[in-house]
Amino acid sequence: MEREVIFTGIGGQGIQLIANVLARAAAKEGKEVMLFGVYEGMMRGGSSESTVVIGDDVIQAPPIIPFTWSVLAMHSVALEAIARKLRPGGVLVVNSTLIASVPRHDVQVVEVPATKLAEQAGNLMGAGMIALAAFCAVTQLVGHGALVQAMHDSLPSHRKHHAERNVAFLEAGRSFAQTLDPSALAHLQNTLTPGSPH
Amino acid sequence: MPERVLMEGSAAIVEAAVQAGCRFYAGYPITPSTEILELMSVRMPQVGGTCMNAESEIEAIGMVWGAAGCGVRSMIASTGQGISLMQESFAELANAQIPIVAVNMCRGQGDYFQATRGGGHGDYRFIVLAPSTAQEAADLTQLAFHLADKWRNPVMIMGDFLLSHTSEMVSFAAPALAELPPKEWAVTGAKGRRGITLSPLGPSEKLSTDVAAALANVTAKHSAIVSEEVRVEHGFLEDAELVVVAFGFPGRFVKYAVRLARERGLRVGYVRPISLWPFPRHAVASAAATARAVAVFELNAGQMIEDVQLSVLGRVPVVAIGGISHDHSGFGVGPLLNVEHILKRIGQVYSGKEDP
Repeated sequence: MEREVIFTGIGGQGIQLIANVLARAAAKEGKEVMLFGVYEGMMRGGSSESTVVIGDDVIQAPPIIPFTWSVLAMHSVALEAIARKLRPGGVLVVNSTLIASVPRHDVQVVEVPATKLAEQAGNLMGAGMIALAAFCAVTQLVGHGALVQAMHDSLPSHRKHHAERNVAFLEAGRSFAQTLDPSALAHLQNTLTPGSPH
Repeated sequence: MPERVLMEGSAAIVEAAVQAGCRFYAGYPITPSTEILELMSVRMPQVGGTCMNAESEIEAIGMVWGAAGCGVRSMIASTGQGISLMQESFAELANAQIPIVAVNMCRGQGDYFQATRGGGHGDYRFIVLAPSTAQEAADLTQLAFHLADKWRNPVMIMGDFLLSHTSEMVSFAAPALAELPPKEWAVTGAKGRRGITLSPLGPSEKLSTDVAAALANVTAKHSAIVSEEVRVEHGFLEDAELVVVAFGFPGRFVKYAVRLARERGLRVGYVRPISLWPFPRHAVASAAATARAVAVFELNAGQMIEDVQLSVLGRVPVVAIGGISHDHSGFGVGPLLNVEHILKRIGQVYSGKEDP
């Protein structure tokens, strides 16, 4: 089984970084992983997208996938086109601070006010880590411990001073997921498809 | 089992080259091959090798030619535009039987002719290997150094933007490759013996005045390579009415699309040439023998399709289902590189709604 996650947002939101963290976390847990990021030629504001595919066997999916198990959307800029790739019943986690409406109604939507939570935690730049930890808590795709380790591994040496703050952001994301209705969460987890049969 | 590490295709190639004993690298930066130069500039000094960021592609291939002539396992990488500049040197060093490994991180797949036919002079050939995963890139890179030395012939790894930038789990098991004889032909200094000249006319002490004989000696090995070094993957061929042929990362898209087509009840199979030269002519011919048609998906205006046609020899229709595909970046990741699009084109050819 392969489970696909497409990350979408804009340059500056850390889309490539959080996709990298998820991929490394899954690798730490002994999974097979594929990671492919694309972004427009601007550092801030252009569309930024990354695909992570996680499986137990060697990944068969190509880097540009036709269907996806889940989407983590930090911004609406490319959401409509990417949401079309969601299989019915798939998970769409949205940064509800910046995304007012979701384009699909046959998928399981989880709203995480990531930008607002990041602001409350003292730095807007933390929204991606918050959303990632909430996404992983909701879908149980990887464990929180692997996520924290992978975040440390993903930071280049000149960014290591952000590690401690990122640990707090990841914790904030996990805590937010714990405030969601437990029965709705259990329903979501029970009805999630196992992934694509490749 | 060796540790599996998440890394980009470029990194997999560099690490495999290091493990294969590559100790000289020269290159000039160009997307999407620049990561190989960057990583080599870190790895070569760590293992006692040398990495040169040359001032041009022509200079870089000259350096690689020289290092390889001294018997050092040597590599160069670029993309098609840079590979174009190296063609004269490619032809000369191939005819002088100097083994090098060249990587083309192609933009799209427009360099198939460049790789398999070459743009240099004379009757030379490159062995060309096209990986479709980071792991395969690592494995084929190790193999490339072996084949280059075994045949004293250049080997090219044909990649693309997706191979360069897709991260996957890779491990580096020591490959089971036969021991090769020492490189007695290499220029290693003339102390206690006559000097050696590496030339298309052979080593200096036997320098031939019979040009035809000398070149025939070089090209004689081509037929041996054709019979011994074909590599190919195929699937779902048993009852396939339509066979799709594709190479490299686009070959992986086709494999995925063929599985989906099977789920929808279509009797479709695929052939993925791993060696582009020598081309897996017999595998394509035997797959076509029981099919109604052969479709070729490649991201160019139609290049490999000629090798498919030469394999099928008119027995069934051969239909192009790819094309030139670029987004505004020009790196070859355009709208055609899309599983649903490939599925649609497969469906059209399968149902006969497209006139072949």
